[in-house]
Amino acid sequence: MIPEPGEGYVRLSPRKLLLDPVKAVGQMVVPVVIALVGISRSDTQFWPIILPLVVIGPLVLGALPWLTTHYRLTGTQIQVRSGVLNKTTSTAPLDRVRSVDLEASLLHRVLGLQKVQIGTGVDDDRITLDALAAPDAQALRTTLLTRRAVAAQAATAPVDGGRAADRTDVPWSEQAVAPVVPPPPPAAPAVLLARIDWSWLRFAPFSLGRLVLLVGGLGVLSQVADELPIWNEETATSAWTWLTQFAVAAIVLVLAVGALALWLIVSVAGYVLQWWNFRLVREHGSLHLTSGLVTTRSITVEEAKVRGVEITEPVLMRVVGGAELSTLATGVEDGVTQVLPPCPRGVAVAVGEAVLDRPGPLTERLVEHGPTARRRAWFRQLRNALEVIVLLAVGWWWFELTWWWLVAVGGALLVLAAAAGEATYRHLGHALSADHLVAGGGTFARIRTVLETDGIIGWVVSQSWWQRRIGLADLTATTAAGAERVLVRDVRLDVAVALADRATPGLLTDFVEPARTPA
Amino acid sequence: MTDVGPDLIARGPVLREPANRVSPQAIPFWTVSALMGDAVLVAGAVLVWLLVPGVPGWAGLVVLLLAVAAAAHVVLMPRIRYRVHRWEVTDTAVHTREGWIGRETRIAPISRVQTVDSRQGALMRLFGLASITVTTASAAGPITVDCLDAETARQVVAQLTAITAATEDDAT
Repeated sequence: MIPEPGEGYVRLSPRKLLLDPVKAVGQMVVPVVIALVGISRSDTQFWPIILPLVVIGPLVLGALPWLTTHYRLTGTQIQVRSGVLNKTTSTAPLDRVRSVDLEASLLHRVLGLQKVQIGTGVDDDRITLDALAAPDAQALRTTLLTRRAVAAQAATAPVDGGRAADRTDVPWSEQAVAPVVPPPPPAAPAVLLARIDWSWLRFAPFSLGRLVLLVGGLGVLSQVADELPIWNEETATSAWTWLTQFAVAAIVLVLAVGALALWLIVSVAGYVLQWWNFRLVREHGSLHLTSGLVTTRSITVEEAKVRGVEITEPVLMRVVGGAELSTLATGVEDGVTQVLPPCPRGVAVAVGEAVLDRPGPLTERLVEHGPTARRRAWFRQLRNALEVIVLLAVGWWWFELTWWWLVAVGGALLVLAAAAGEATYRHLGHALSADHLVAGGGTFARIRTVLETDGIIGWVVSQSWWQRRIGLADLTATTAAGAERVLVRDVRLDVAVALADRATPGLLTDFVEPARTPA
Repeated sequence: MTDVGPDLIARGPVLREPANRVSPQAIPFWTVSALMGDAVLVAGAVLVWLLVPGVPGWAGLVVLLLAVAAAAHVVLMPRIRYRVHRWEVTDTAVHTREGWIGRETRIAPISRVQTVDSRQGALMRLFGLASITVTTASAAGPITVDCLDAETARQVVAQLTAITAATEDDAT
């Protein structure tokens, strides 16, 4: 019998012994098969040596990490020891645990395992336990998140008797650390904020995030197509004569319909794979997201670190009334976490309000920035278009092409720029609602960013030469959450100053001077 | 002087300018820096104009324009910048204004300051100048006070570190 690691340390799941060899074999299958074929052709006298190596090698490689990786939970820390020759010990204080994410690939799921990643708010420094039995992983997650709350309480007030909480769901922790565990508080019941509704599938084709994948896939396909027998020269020439005989328009139509159908399939399949069994739950002071068909994900964001939300309505999704919601958090690896799949705007707003704990910031009308801001938005887009047109004109002049095309392309660009300018202005706006700064923005997508005013750690007022001429400014609230800035663009200078002053009372008081009276 | 253009009067309160100017030594410093950069650019353009055979006639005009623009930049930029750049450190906040064509005003509460750095390049040392950078937990939030005289910079750093050491917060 293998000795237990001792000192309260426990091992990962024994099923890891199956996981790693299978993974190793999966990676090594091609070279191994080649080697075997090579050997079988030559003498068979090496078989007694080769075969045990092939079988035992992966087993040993798989067993080593299991034998050498131990972890334990003390009253204040989680510690992970690993390594064969180089021993490393990772330690994280429990009150610094910001996120506990669970992930399971298909193989993990067949074996009933889960990979646990513990984030401590320090960039790129996550503690990974790969893999634990699924119930143990769940229990560890629950324990870490409740203990974190306890540790946080212990820092401010003595913990009173929460011993009533019965913890039969954590068998591994009882034997390991029962004596040093502070009693966890009675767990608040989990509140379901959102779950997948398959009618949301209608938004999948309107969300263009996966288009990149599709284009990449088509690139690979075109490589393969060269190898296909139908594309030899004779068929190509006969196809060409056929093509010239029939209407080119019909071919284009068929291609377009084909591409559209392909896009429908890919987008819907991607949506199903990613968001299968999606649930967003609030428990232990955290938001907890689970989803995935083949690979399951479980993401936890600590609510105390969530400083705001962002609701995005890409232009195509707007048409069908869809939206996406992200939280803006501090101290996690990636401050912007998408917490909802593309879903109806009403759902995104409701969940956003639940996360913010107050209605208003997501629905309130924004203060418009006025006609000068509209002029500015138009001007900015038109100037961009003109720059492109000038570049194109130089190209046309260089290559001596007909001017008719330039006029057509230039006209189209100008119309597009005008549309973009008007759209930009319509999305523009700001508000201060229930202790939250609200900024509207986006060119084609409508984006509303809501930031808790407590999360604002500075202001930047910047004015370009053009903006100074017409009294506008860009107001940036700096923050540690999300993208680390919230921009209110093209707002009148005095309005910007008043907004900043109201959002962070006291900070600007020393620096504000009253308006000059017109002479 | 406010930041609003001549044709528009702000209808509400605006930010006043920060109290202190930067060191007057900043004008020669900026002039020399700009001169070094622009001289390389203009020399490069002249070289191309002289050495490349068969350049069209208008290329000379472009080089001339470039030289005039560079001269204007070297003469005007430091003076305008000296008038614009201002800074102020109070017990509660750091406030700066900078720019020469555009304007940028930055304010950060001292309670959220995480680090205070001072920097002095070789050329800055020649003119007895130093810069201070105050960072917060936001990547968008660093505040730089350019071109203080070295002694003032030392005092300001000492003052800021004393104030930030007294505040206890994780500054996010």
